[in-house]
Amino acid sequence: MNLDLLQAAAAKNAWGAILPELLLGLLALFLLILEILLPKKRHGAIPAIAILGQIAILVGTLVNLRSGYLGTETFGGLLQHDMHGQFMRVFFLLTSILVSILGVPSLAKQQVPRVEFFHIVIVVTGAMMLLVQSHHFVMLFVALETVTIGFYILVSYFRSNPLSLEAGLKYLVMGALSSSLLLFGIVFLYGVVGNPELSLPGAASTAMDFTSIRQFLEAHPDNFLAKVGIVLVLAGIAFKIGAVPFQIWIPDVYQGAPTPVTALLAVGSKAAGFAVLLALTGVFAPYRTLVVPVLSVMAGATILFGNLAALTQYNVKRLIGLSGVSHAGYLLVGVVAAYHDPMAVGAVYFYLLVYLIASFAVFGVMTYVCGENDADQELEHYADLAKANPFLAVVLAIGLGSLAGIPPLAGFIGKLLVFVAAFHAGLYVLLGIAIVGVVISIYYYFGWIKAAVFPFWSGRRTAEGVSQACPRLQVGLLFKLVLGGLTIATVILGVYQGGLIPWLAAR
Amino acid sequence: MSVTLNDYLLVSVLMFVVGFFGVLMRRNTLIVYMCLELMLVAATLALVAFSRYNQTMDGNVFVFFILTVAAAEVAVGLAIIVALFRRRHTVQLDELNALKN
Repeated sequence: MNLDLLQAAAAKNAWGAILPELLLGLLALFLLILEILLPKKRHGAIPAIAILGQIAILVGTLVNLRSGYLGTETFGGLLQHDMHGQFMRVFFLLTSILVSILGVPSLAKQQVPRVEFFHIVIVVTGAMMLLVQSHHFVMLFVALETVTIGFYILVSYFRSNPLSLEAGLKYLVMGALSSSLLLFGIVFLYGVVGNPELSLPGAASTAMDFTSIRQFLEAHPDNFLAKVGIVLVLAGIAFKIGAVPFQIWIPDVYQGAPTPVTALLAVGSKAAGFAVLLALTGVFAPYRTLVVPVLSVMAGATILFGNLAALTQYNVKRLIGLSGVSHAGYLLVGVVAAYHDPMAVGAVYFYLLVYLIASFAVFGVMTYVCGENDADQELEHYADLAKANPFLAVVLAIGLGSLAGIPPLAGFIGKLLVFVAAFHAGLYVLLGIAIVGVVISIYYYFGWIKAAVFPFWSGRRTAEGVSQACPRLQVGLLFKLVLGGLTIATVILGVYQGGLIPWLAAR
Repeated sequence: MSVTLNDYLLVSVLMFVVGFFGVLMRRNTLIVYMCLELMLVAATLALVAFSRYNQTMDGNVFVFFILTVAAAEVAVGLAIIVALFRRRHTVQLDELNALKN
């Protein structure tokens, strides 16, 4: 390859198109430099700088929402920019800001390095933003692995705690296994799409590009290797979103991981998986007869398993993990509906948004209620929350109510939109399973609210073996504002969505 | 007798299956870890074989990315295993079961 060709290729790179990701990367590096340069007693400023920097990038992204790169492919077809990508960028930035805010009180209880936590959270966020905009399987794989390897570190971040390390090891084994499945699927797709005897003229050289793969699948609607590849790719992603039968890692990893990381896993990682699944609906659409049954069975099993397994949990982190599995099931119903009716895509995005808002309200309360041992958060610890701190109890009740889908909170509208989309798509069986799931979920969500609000409630387990009610930190004013804002957003989005739903559905 | 694409794919699938069941069945963390690497290598072998057969370079370039990712994964993974061994003095998965109901 000659030099001119390389120069021409480099000149075509539109760095402006990935400006938010580049700025996140620079911010992450800047934090590490600050740690070296600042004197030790000034290190308290670094989290503030991390949060402010991310807020600045979020504002910049919002101002530039209709950037000139929309609808174009950049970097030789590696990335494609559209409004879905812009929405997910804002979504991930919100997630990482909230995770960083949760990180401050959570890290304060531990003897661990501080700066690297924010560094890795920011890097992972940038990678997730690239992941949802990728239009090429190499880009998808590399971005996904950046996210996954970042999570290995974050999950085992409280390294003096054996539970955190054990969760890290389990996530490592499961994550690497799922990445291998995904990779093998990609290799099969590459193999058939690039096959000189089968491929369309000119497509062989771009065998990992989504557009070429779609064209190939349309031309060859019954190729065995392509089917194997598609199933393996779906299995790899199902691991990330925690869908049955790939959900085994969820309770252990959610329990052992530091609470802010659990939040990032529950919201960010899951949303990234669903954004990829939605992006792939366009690619795999010609193989609808294969993909829809696979995803439908997965969705039904996920809803039932998540809700039934959550019934028996007393550790709130396991509880929220398993309830998150059931939420993945409802979202999968939306993805299946998206194969029939593109309007369902908007419903899935709206569901993800209300899930983010409600989850972070709950995780915020969890961060404050938990003691020094981050993995030990039982329902008993909430016993006197309403008396000790009425504000946190209200935030918890509204967050959990929204997760359960109680009207008039935002979670109800989110579920309603997904169910309406499923109804329009004619998925009556899945709809029935989902409604049964919602009814079951009300039991354990209200068990948690009951534990927090009614002081005389005592669990079936005796108090021995559970540590003493943990000493609670004073809730800072800023943190109160954030939690209050999330709660108010949950209530407002429940009664008034403005132009959000048409806007999300229009694209 | 010449070695064809199918032979490469057969070896690759065999390696992948060995690795997959190794991860599920072996109880020693380090062996599980080797099996994970075996799966990545299996995918790489299939990729190179396809790349050669298809006469395109994409597959060969992708191999570099996979190797880089695998190296990063090993670095983080071994660090976690070492840290866990220091705390618990074991690398047997059966004994690493503090997280449960």
